[in-house]
Amino acid sequence: MSNGDLRVGRVLRVSTRGFVIGCEVMRPEIPAFGSFVQAEGVAPGSLIYGLIYDVSIDDDLFARQFVVANPPEEVVLDQRENRQVPIEVSVLAIGCREGGHIRHNLPLQPPVTLDWLYQCDPQEVYAFTSHFGYFRLILEAREVPADELLAASLRAAAAVRPPSERRPFLVAAGRELARLLSGDPVRLEGVLSRLGVSD
Amino acid sequence: MKQAMETHTSTSPSAAEQELDAFLGPRTVAQPTPLPQQRLGIVVGGSLSKGLDVKLDPATVIEGLAVGRYVVVHGQTGRRFFSLVTDVRLDALNPLIEKVPPDTHDAFLEEVYRGTAVFGCIQISPMLVLESGGDEPKPVKTVPAHFTAVYPASAEEVALVFGQEGEGDNFYIGDPLEMEGIHVTLDLRRFIERSAGVFGKTGTGKSFLTRTLLAGLARWGGAVNLVFDMHNEYGWMSRDEAHQEVKGLKQLFYNRVSVFTLDPVSSQRRGSKTDGVVQIGYGQIEPEDVDGLASLLALSDVQVGALYFLRRKLGADWLARLLDEDDPLSELEGALARGVLHGGTLGAIQRKLGLFRRFEFLQARTKTGDDAVSEILNSLDRGVHVVLEFGRYGDSLEAYILVANYITRRIHEHYKRRKEDALGSRADEPMPLVITIEEAHKFLDPSVSRYTIFGTIARELRKYNVTLLIVDQRPSGIDPEVMSQIGTRITCLLDDEADIRAVFAGISGAGALREVLARLDTRQQALIMGHAVPMPVVIRTRTYGTPEFYAEMGLSADKKMMLAERRRLLRGEEVEI
Repeated sequence: MSNGDLRVGRVLRVSTRGFVIGCEVMRPEIPAFGSFVQAEGVAPGSLIYGLIYDVSIDDDLFARQFVVANPPEEVVLDQRENRQVPIEVSVLAIGCREGGHIRHNLPLQPPVTLDWLYQCDPQEVYAFTSHFGYFRLILEAREVPADELLAASLRAAAAVRPPSERRPFLVAAGRELARLLSGDPVRLEGVLSRLGVSD
Repeated sequence: MKQAMETHTSTSPSAAEQELDAFLGPRTVAQPTPLPQQRLGIVVGGSLSKGLDVKLDPATVIEGLAVGRYVVVHGQTGRRFFSLVTDVRLDALNPLIEKVPPDTHDAFLEEVYRGTAVFGCIQISPMLVLESGGDEPKPVKTVPAHFTAVYPASAEEVALVFGQEGEGDNFYIGDPLEMEGIHVTLDLRRFIERSAGVFGKTGTGKSFLTRTLLAGLARWGGAVNLVFDMHNEYGWMSRDEAHQEVKGLKQLFYNRVSVFTLDPVSSQRRGSKTDGVVQIGYGQIEPEDVDGLASLLALSDVQVGALYFLRRKLGADWLARLLDEDDPLSELEGALARGVLHGGTLGAIQRKLGLFRRFEFLQARTKTGDDAVSEILNSLDRGVHVVLEFGRYGDSLEAYILVANYITRRIHEHYKRRKEDALGSRADEPMPLVITIEEAHKFLDPSVSRYTIFGTIARELRKYNVTLLIVDQRPSGIDPEVMSQIGTRITCLLDDEADIRAVFAGISGAGALREVLARLDTRQQALIMGHAVPMPVVIRTRTYGTPEFYAEMGLSADKKMMLAERRRLLRGEEVEI
């Protein structure tokens, strides 16, 4: 992979269902909740797609001390940009690319530690979200705020489309959700109302 | 210069283009490709006996569908299943949505929900199947597979099922619902093979539909009509509900229709051009003719039996003598004395038959001495259609039944004889006769249908080339045995449960069609099913009385030509109409 500007961080912990990466600093829009990200798979040419569902910043010894010491502004900035403990970004695996084909299922193997995780570019987001098979992986993930994550990811996917395609895309996604969440109409309405399409 | 510019701006091919055409050959003009039909939905369940359930696609507007419409299921094996929409309903993936509906002010939510969480369904009844590559529809014996696509029937498919107008014996009777311009045709040959019925409650357009059918039969020429015109609306001009004048059969087929009347005064007042006045002598009435009036005249079984006794004792003048108050009826003294005939019975018969004195068409002796029935039979034998106007007697059911029974009995005998002659000597068979009767439940009531000639005709069917066209608003009053013999049933709106049940008696898959019938418009819509159509069809009936209709019936729109034709007719020359 060579989309250097879109690096989010390096892989810290992995499992088949998702992984946690560490990044140094917070930049505008990276890492963002509901963003589409990708990491290289173990097999050559393969990719693993995921959605950022959590960003956490743990404290460290220095931060604890500075909090009570009222440090000068340069020290605060230095602490933010040269962290001792990385920002942890949790990612839910939602698909993979194998042999040039995008599949909406869990990857056969997770990425390896310290691999780079990249933000997906708009073309990749467009291609990945042209079908809605990954909805089920999000809705069935217990450890994530599924409804919020789904809504945020759909807003992100709509944003990469031309304005004329955004509403039809969200309507089509909404219809798929209506099918998947037919057993829980109240939850369905909750997700749909988070898509931010108001008339 | 100007010429050069004109040449340049002209749409005709340039010299260079012409040279290219000469070199490459003429260009083929691209034909516009027909637009693909919008899929309505997919089959999701059902059975052959109970019909198929179709889930509508989100893009299908449920309000655009109606019971009675035609749809075609494109099966897995290339078969096409012609089906009729029998029910339309709303459904939801989760019944909870009905209890907790989404915010209906949000257009996005509405767009998402419609067709997915909530959706429309139709029930369709498959009727005919067309094999892949075949062009002859056959009765359906299986069902299409799950998730096969359903489309609206195209004009070609409807034409394939119902035949093209002008092809064979087909007669355009109306357009399928929501398919204006596509013509559904009746096979008139099959229509007259068995008795037929036009049913519907009052004001639903039975008379106009009947008029259209009669005009179609007259134009076709494969059968001859005898119409007992109770309300004087078939022979000459009448008015529709908007008080517009509409032409009668005589005006459309001048020299092929004879109008007879029982009430010349009424006919003259209405300006009806009649060909003869029907008068019946008392001496021509037989007890069998009175028998059909038993229930209307409240004649008991004993009194009906006494009629035959009186006929034997008093001879051919039995009726005239019974109605003559000065006749001592001395021949009956012995019978009265022996108790064979009760005096009270005789008195009751005389009292009840006294009604006949009010019927001016019944005469002790007919003025001309000729037999009206013979005149009518002669006309029918010549292939001339006969309309018998009742004038003011149309309000008297007794007069209508008496005359219809009287004439029909003799016609039936005549046809029976001719048919037997034809069988014996291989002479020409009589032309099929269709007798149109209104208020048929009075003739075909279960208690009398066995004894009236109409019951016999309905049961004997086509043996003697005589069939009935029954026009009635109370089909439940007709003997079920007779109803089961009605080959083609054309039904306008009926809302009485018993009438609906009667119309569907003996029809397979009737359950699904009941909803269709109950939802017909009050005007100009009819459900046709039976012998003359390959499958039941709901139509918007053809409009009678338009210049186009008259023209198609062969009536010249040019008044001068019409006058010329009439003049030639008066001079006794053959006129082609």
